[in-house]
Amino acid sequence: MLDFVLNLLIFFIITAVFIKELGLMVNRPSGADPTQASGGNSVPVHVLANGEIWIDNRVVDLRAVRANVERMFATNPKSGVLVIADKDAETGLVVQVVDQIHLGGIYNVTFSTTG
Amino acid sequence: MKAKHHEPESGEHGIDLAPMLDFVLNLLIFFIITTSFVKEAGVVVSRPNADTVEYKESGNILIAVRENGDIWMDRRQVDLRDVRTLVERLHVERPEDTAVIVADKAAHAGIVAQVMDEVHLGGIRDVALGAAPATGE
Repeated sequence: MLDFVLNLLIFFIITAVFIKELGLMVNRPSGADPTQASGGNSVPVHVLANGEIWIDNRVVDLRAVRANVERMFATNPKSGVLVIADKDAETGLVVQVVDQIHLGGIYNVTFSTTG
Repeated sequence: MKAKHHEPESGEHGIDLAPMLDFVLNLLIFFIITTSFVKEAGVVVSRPNADTVEYKESGNILIAVRENGDIWMDRRQVDLRDVRTLVERLHVERPEDTAVIVADKAAHAGIVAQVMDEVHLGGIRDVALGAAPATGE
């Protein structure tokens, strides 16, 4: 019985060790020119180093990203989003933008950098 | 042992090794499993929060990027150029593993993108950006 209890103990310790990692799935552009990635069907979202987010040549607020993406998704459900971040942009902001895009319904997000 | 064999009327002598062997084997298995599971990055970064985080199955290779651009992998700081070699080795050991890049909120996106490219070059196509679940705004 002691053997069995010890086995049980070890089993529970092991299952507790199964830490699942949390993350957001993003793609990387395969070609040299990121704007040509995924068949040119991607809507670019620029994230600048100063924290500005540009969609369709307009500065948008982080909270407005979701609405914009939802509109894109409604017009073309197959479109992906290309997040083009400045290389000095903060990762936290990029992750939040990707998060908002996911919330807007588009999971085909490609992450590329410029600058 | 032979000397004891000659002693009369002691039916049980010495320690029964079987349960101890069982236990030691269990312990061995336990340690093998725990060491091979998660390749911890070995550094604490403040993760960005996100609402749409998903659990990564077998997301075992953690690569941390600190706010000053340091890259940590497998409990030590590595150079960007070493990431590819390390990922290649881990990919050969356990081909089903995927990588999670845990970048600090304040880390620069350029370094994260470079690390991602190195991981791709190392043979792992499935890369996620690490994030913490949002804890209410």
